[in-house]
Amino acid sequence: MEKTGFYEALAEILEVEKVGDADVLREFDAWDSLTKLSIIALADSDYRTVLTAKDLDGIATVGDLKDRLEKNGQ
Amino acid sequence: MNDGGEHPLDLRGRSYLVTGAASGIGRATAVRLSRLGARLICSDLEVPGLEETLGGLRGSGHIARPFDLRNVDAVASWLGEACSSFGQLNGFVHAAGVPCVCPVKGLGLDRLREVILVNAESGFALAKAFVNPRTFAGSQGSIVFISSVMSLVGSAASAGYAMSKGALNSLTRALALEYANRKIRVNAVAPGFVKTPMFDKTSAGWDDEQRRRVEALHALGFGEPEDIANAAAFLLADESRWITGTVMVVDGGYSAQ
Repeated sequence: MEKTGFYEALAEILEVEKVGDADVLREFDAWDSLTKLSIIALADSDYRTVLTAKDLDGIATVGDLKDRLEKNGQ
Repeated sequence: MNDGGEHPLDLRGRSYLVTGAASGIGRATAVRLSRLGARLICSDLEVPGLEETLGGLRGSGHIARPFDLRNVDAVASWLGEACSSFGQLNGFVHAAGVPCVCPVKGLGLDRLREVILVNAESGFALAKAFVNPRTFAGSQGSIVFISSVMSLVGSAASAGYAMSKGALNSLTRALALEYANRKIRVNAVAPGFVKTPMFDKTSAGWDDEQRRRVEALHALGFGEPEDIANAAAFLLADESRWITGTVMVVDGGYSAQ
């Protein structure tokens, strides 16, 4: 499990320079089905966590996503 | 060849290795081959699943040899050791593989290399080790790689997986010519979406609409592991003796459109 680099990896997926905990996921221009798939893949490969599209719909912010991944990945 | 009295895909007296045998297509293939009379080495890194598979096989003399195919450098010694107690093989079905549903922007090079390692490089290592005289029985040789329809048609978020399976297709054709004079046929099966644990993992990110859309792309609906096992059995049996270097598409019509 690799927790360092979460913000960098997410920023790359969301196609922005950087992201912060308060940023709302669905407000990013790049928020689409491929972006969701990328986050699901990140959860699997770096956090060994199975995340579904429905799970993602219920996660509001970058910080919420980080909490979810770190909680599941423990 | 079959003269009418035996099952046309009779594999009695034959021995094969099946990788990825703990679940899904690998398990269904092992079960199918055992029912056709073959004796098997079943391999996977998931030991409990492997033991469950072994318990469901028909006939006797099958063995389980857990192995992590990421250790490609150790494939030759592992296979040689397995065959020293089991006996020589007529071929193998390489069903082991890892899924990779990820758009390029989320696919790191480390992950890409791991997918290619498990799905393609391990196939090369197995084929290279197989021709050793202590491994290959010397007759009726047949190798079957489980590829994917994703190696033949484009799909978003499949770059890594498609690359790995495309490499298997190319390996299939090259080996078919290189191994022909050794009396070893080499073919691949390219499945569409098949209801396996890997499919469950792959489709975890889909919503209901996506699932309906992907299933609709299969004119015959999603496949069952047994559909792929049947194709693999055919490609091992003498009924396919003039077939080598092919990628047999078994996809319920996915690539027909």
